[in-house]
Amino acid sequence: MSLLSMKSRKVKTNGPLDTNQLTKTQQLLKDKWLYVLLLPGIVYFVLFKYMPMWGVLMAFQDYSPFKGFWQSDWVGFDHFQYFFQNPDFFRLLRNTLILALYDLIFFFPAPIIIALMLNELRMQFFKRTIQTLVYVPHFMSWVIIASITYVFLTTSGGAVNAVVEYFTGEKINFLSSPDWFRPMIIGQVIWKETGWGTVIFLAALASVSPEQYEAAIMDGAGRFRRMWHVTLPALRSTIVILLILRLGNFLDQGFQQIFLMTNSLNRSVADVFDTYVYFVGITQGAFSYSTAVGLFKAIVGIILIYGADYLAKKLKQPGLF
Amino acid sequence: MKQKKKSIWMLLLTFIISALLIGCSDGETNTSDENNDNNQENTNDSEAEGNGEPTDISIMTASFTPEPPDESSPAWQAIEEFTNTNLDIEFVPNSNYDERFNITLASGELPDVILTGKTPSFINAVDDGAFWDLTDYVDEYENLGQMNDIVKNNISIDGRIYSLYRSRPLGRMAMSIRQDWLDNLGMEKPTTIEEFYDVMYAFTHDDPDGNGQDDTVGTIVSEYEGPWDIMQTWFGVPNKWGIDENGELYPHFQDPAYREALDFFKKMYDEGLVNEDFAVMDPAKWHDAFVNGKAGTIVDVADAASRNQDKMIDADPSLEGAVDLIGAVEGPNGLHNLPTTGYSMMFAISKTSVETEEELHKVLEFMDKMSTEEGQNLGFNGVEGRHYEIVDGVYTPTEDQGLVYEHEDLNQLLTFIPEERFLTAPLQEIEKKEEKVMKANEEIAVPNPAEPLVSEVYSRQGEQLDNIILDARIKYIVGQIDESGLDEAEELWMNSGGKEYIEEINQLYQEAQ
Amino acid sequence: MHKMHNTPLGRVFDVFNHIFLALLGLATFIPFVYVIAGSFATESEIAARPFFLIPETITTAAYDYIFSTTTFIRSIGVSVLVTVLGTLVSLLLTMTMAYPLSRKKLLGRNLILNLVVFTMVFNGGMIPTYMVVKSLGLLDSLWALILPVAINPFYLIIVKSFFQNLPSELEESAKIDGCSDMGVFWRIVIPLSKPVIATFTLFYAVFYWNDFFNALLYISDSAKWPVQLLLQQLMMVANMDFGEMDTMLADPPEESLKMAVVVVATVPILIFYPFLQKHFAKGILLGSVKG
Repeated sequence: MSLLSMKSRKVKTNGPLDTNQLTKTQQLLKDKWLYVLLLPGIVYFVLFKYMPMWGVLMAFQDYSPFKGFWQSDWVGFDHFQYFFQNPDFFRLLRNTLILALYDLIFFFPAPIIIALMLNELRMQFFKRTIQTLVYVPHFMSWVIIASITYVFLTTSGGAVNAVVEYFTGEKINFLSSPDWFRPMIIGQVIWKETGWGTVIFLAALASVSPEQYEAAIMDGAGRFRRMWHVTLPALRSTIVILLILRLGNFLDQGFQQIFLMTNSLNRSVADVFDTYVYFVGITQGAFSYSTAVGLFKAIVGIILIYGADYLAKKLKQPGLF
Repeated sequence: MKQKKKSIWMLLLTFIISALLIGCSDGETNTSDENNDNNQENTNDSEAEGNGEPTDISIMTASFTPEPPDESSPAWQAIEEFTNTNLDIEFVPNSNYDERFNITLASGELPDVILTGKTPSFINAVDDGAFWDLTDYVDEYENLGQMNDIVKNNISIDGRIYSLYRSRPLGRMAMSIRQDWLDNLGMEKPTTIEEFYDVMYAFTHDDPDGNGQDDTVGTIVSEYEGPWDIMQTWFGVPNKWGIDENGELYPHFQDPAYREALDFFKKMYDEGLVNEDFAVMDPAKWHDAFVNGKAGTIVDVADAASRNQDKMIDADPSLEGAVDLIGAVEGPNGLHNLPTTGYSMMFAISKTSVETEEELHKVLEFMDKMSTEEGQNLGFNGVEGRHYEIVDGVYTPTEDQGLVYEHEDLNQLLTFIPEERFLTAPLQEIEKKEEKVMKANEEIAVPNPAEPLVSEVYSRQGEQLDNIILDARIKYIVGQIDESGLDEAEELWMNSGGKEYIEEINQLYQEAQ
Repeated sequence: MHKMHNTPLGRVFDVFNHIFLALLGLATFIPFVYVIAGSFATESEIAARPFFLIPETITTAAYDYIFSTTTFIRSIGVSVLVTVLGTLVSLLLTMTMAYPLSRKKLLGRNLILNLVVFTMVFNGGMIPTYMVVKSLGLLDSLWALILPVAINPFYLIIVKSFFQNLPSELEESAKIDGCSDMGVFWRIVIPLSKPVIATFTLFYAVFYWNDFFNALLYISDSAKWPVQLLLQQLMMVANMDFGEMDTMLADPPEESLKMAVVVVATVPILIFYPFLQKHFAKGILLGSVKG
């Protein structure tokens, strides 16, 4: 075991490059090819990410597309004030946070677990077939998934409710019950995206050498200890990075999915920021207001990203940087 | 080292090539822009020459097909010839039309004619002076001058008309009913709400299809709230806003008939006359139950009757004539029907691209010409001999899908003001009934007095306000809340901006009078 | 991973693992089978049976309709072109940018990384981005579907961290052999990164294939519409705006047609994955260097 941990530590340390002794100019010159490689990417970010960044300022305007940015009126923090004072704000925040937490707790680990399970399969054909099958739902649109969900879960002849009724004698209103809304949403996400999520972990596992496993076997490690001590550590940096990045979009939810699964009976738990912004922004054309809500979400996101990164570093985990 | 150099050059080359490619398309768009500008000038020039030179008109409209026509389409060319124009039509996929509309507004390069909904973006742009006020112009035109007053009122903003609506039947809402089931049960078509109830009761409990099983419901409703809106109108509930004896507007749910209607719905639900999962039913599967003979009525649009009957006949040819239509049934205070807005989006004319009155007249002339019989035929059916034939006096469209695409989306240019005049294949029995019912429904339509009013409160909170009332209605029907729950919802509505909304609407209404 | 000794518990786990994954595979795949079945079914059967895997009457009417004109074939061609070209551009840009950023001593690295992370949560939005695309003259060009989305910052960060985990000894020895950074990148790093490249080829390809929104914004010429935009046209009409559905001029698309378009628009990208899978395994090389 000590052998293994030594190895993984070795991987992370940087080479003994004595750049410290060089002046900045020397350093720039020395790394000139690296900057050449970097250049196209920087051009991209400047052009397509930072040039349009003025759009963020629409949050402080009453932006009118016809008048344009310069002619539109500035309103300061009006939109934010309106948003925070909205009687629905806390309900939206609560719903969004709970759903985001559910997502983190129940969905986030799912691809990792499935990747580990797939990794234990030794028949290559079986493994690849399953891998391909589980990733298929990623390509199905929410419209179709919502439709199929209805067919299975409805109380009027749905297959799932037939089974539930057979065992318990009662039907469950999955589709209309506020209690079932969140499990249903997370269930759909798990079904749709788990297979897709495994791809990146399987790629990370591909870089684990057979020798590491063999060494572990030599050490007398059993099946589960190998999983714990070899496979999982190989995924660690990927897991941490994906987790941090996920936090950046913590308050984002799949708008279309939630929109399709919302109805009059479960709306109290179903309304989240994204559906709210849709109605206010798209159907009611309030560009500036929806930009303001988006900005609020982004600020929360950036705080979470840096917070998580800081925490990761504290815990001696590889962070974002 | 050599090899490394090579790879760098390859990299550079890739970027140069891609830069070049971008450059190329850059050039292309520029030239086409220039063309547009030239065209614009041509328009001005041609004014002097009278009718000789074709007018250039650019139009942005929606597209519903995977392949909208282009200039090479004979139908397009025939329209240009007929109207003496050079058309530059941009077809935008209908699925996200609003986004493209906003972006086009923001880009500052509006086409002469643009399709739009009566959205807040459009209204704001009108306030900013983006579009022509057409109120004083349309009357000069033979067809456009004959706009329907209700619809004209619906599209107006502060009493002025800034667009030409695309006409759709006002009386489109109607109920399809299984005539064969009525016959089986020896019943007549219902004419009052009581009779409607009796029919639904029998449809649910008396085995109307005679299969010996209790597998039918009186009516089928989905998550889409339309049917409840239509049915409550039968009871005399106003269309969104009612007018009291002092001439003040009040929201529809404050009308006493509203509670009456809700009690009726609740009774329907409690007695199983409506499908129990209506609140969550996938709207895409809504009509299936009617088509499959599981539901005896469906309250939706008139034109659904023929669509549904066609499907039923596909599966079982003996069902020919099984579907009939009812416009509305009579309530305690008369016969009422919920109208549509009477239009599906409208055409606005840009002030920045159409700069002078002369130009405006040319554009209106084009729109007016497209409403003549020949214009509608070209726009809707394409060119005779290519897209359709007249066989023994009967209109026969082509079956070649490629040819259909050549003209189909051009129907998105038509306003159908004042009426539909294009050739159609001989109507089936049921389609004739649809027309008749829709016509009759116009007489009993309950207009929304606040339709032309633009409320600021509503533009911000409308969705939330509407949901409070809509959700409470559903909850009441399924028994999750009682009378006091409805009261609470109404109070919540009042306190969530409803009070301000009522005040604002009343003020706007008084101003408009 | 051969000839491992297996404990009884391990064997139980194996059995359970196989059964569980097989069931999972079924559960994820069967709805798609329904879509395929529906695309071959008649309208009345789709209306009558809520769910089925084999249609009673098989009809190819939906496919006949789709392929009766060249429209769909052409749009698939557009999608393939954009996907191939876009994936190449994206991979190239992502890899070249990620590698320098993986070198911790690079001057300005932290600033750039922070600016990249910033764009993951903040963006200018639809209208400003449209303005940039327009001012670059990209409207109605297929490049408008590629360049504005060429680098996904998430992927960039992940690739960067993959590169960071590469053993630095390799680079150093290559440098001692006289390779420049550029040489190290192309001759050492890229060949070692096959699983990463395979993964992100898949990610970018799927992204480009599924994207319809950029086409909606930037492409007016219907000859350049990708297949997902056509799919969107058909799917949206009936579902999102049910109340305002404008079915007066044209009947809503038939269910079987919608399903057939889903099949036509999905199958090409689905079969891409099994083809890529074998490249994931090649990463073994990376491990062997470490050992």
